[in-house]
Amino acid sequence: MRLEINGKPEETLAATLAELVGNYGLEKELVVVEVNGKIVDREKWKGFELENGMKIEIVHFVGGG
Amino acid sequence: MNDTLEIGGRRLKSRFFLGTGRYPNPFVQNEAIRISKSEVLTFAIRRVNLEAPREDAVLQHVNAEDFVFLPNTSGAKNADEAVRIARLAKASGLSNWIKVEISVNANTLLPDPVETLKATEKLAKEGFVVLPYTSDDPVLCKRLEEVGAAAVMPGAAPIGTGLGILNPYNLSLIIEEAGVPVIVDAGIGTASDVVQAMELGADGILLNTAVAKARNPVKMAEGMKYAIDAGRSAYLSGRIPKKRYATASSETEKFLMQR
Repeated sequence: MRLEINGKPEETLAATLAELVGNYGLEKELVVVEVNGKIVDREKWKGFELENGMKIEIVHFVGGG
Repeated sequence: MNDTLEIGGRRLKSRFFLGTGRYPNPFVQNEAIRISKSEVLTFAIRRVNLEAPREDAVLQHVNAEDFVFLPNTSGAKNADEAVRIARLAKASGLSNWIKVEISVNANTLLPDPVETLKATEKLAKEGFVVLPYTSDDPVLCKRLEEVGAAAVMPGAAPIGTGLGILNPYNLSLIIEEAGVPVIVDAGIGTASDVVQAMELGADGILLNTAVAKARNPVKMAEGMKYAIDAGRSAYLSGRIPKKRYATASSETEKFLMQR
């Protein structure tokens, strides 16, 4: 399946958002996920099925003033 | 004396808000944070680098319970983008505080006043504790307060310039008229700038580059902490008026040589 993740096209075998986040080793990290412009809460990642062409943002906190 | 600062229902002992960008390394950053006694730390929200997903996550170096987190909306070019970033920050569960920061000019990074006002109003209605980074305009600061800002954060000078307080007159007007705390944000270069802002009656200081890019960030963080305390004490004490001619500070009677 083809997704757009953080602005780049990506191929993935992940079926759910939880699997996708897990593939990057981020399941326990403090990240926030947005799908097609809407935030998906962490507790919903497992049941959230991915569909071709979805636009996904995975963000976190970095240093800043 | 019990001189605390209250923002969004939270009582703070420290008036020093410290940014977390541009330190030489996480160890120096943590030492600077520790010595600053800051209770409020700012952060930015960015895309995870998927080639190195665990890199740059600043919070892995900080003990979350000790601080109030003030994420910023840097990168936003308008109110809608700022609101989007704010919602992402809040969804982390770490904080409902947000520093609205909307810059459109790459040279000055000055805040867009119209978009800042819009975003502040919207986010305040959504229940955020909103601290807008704003230009040092007294009317705009009042407007931000009226639409729900928990504090206003006028810039001393553009971000990262270290130019100090370019318009002390405006800043003093903002402070005089404000019904919410005034945090001087951005443009601070060194400790004397901080003292000046606090003597004018600012409630706090937010700075980052002046500490992070100093030759010795930890020592500078300490200096800034003392500057905040010094300026605050002077402000609360009521300074003497300036006079043209001298007044003796020693007793003027009973000189030894007097006849």
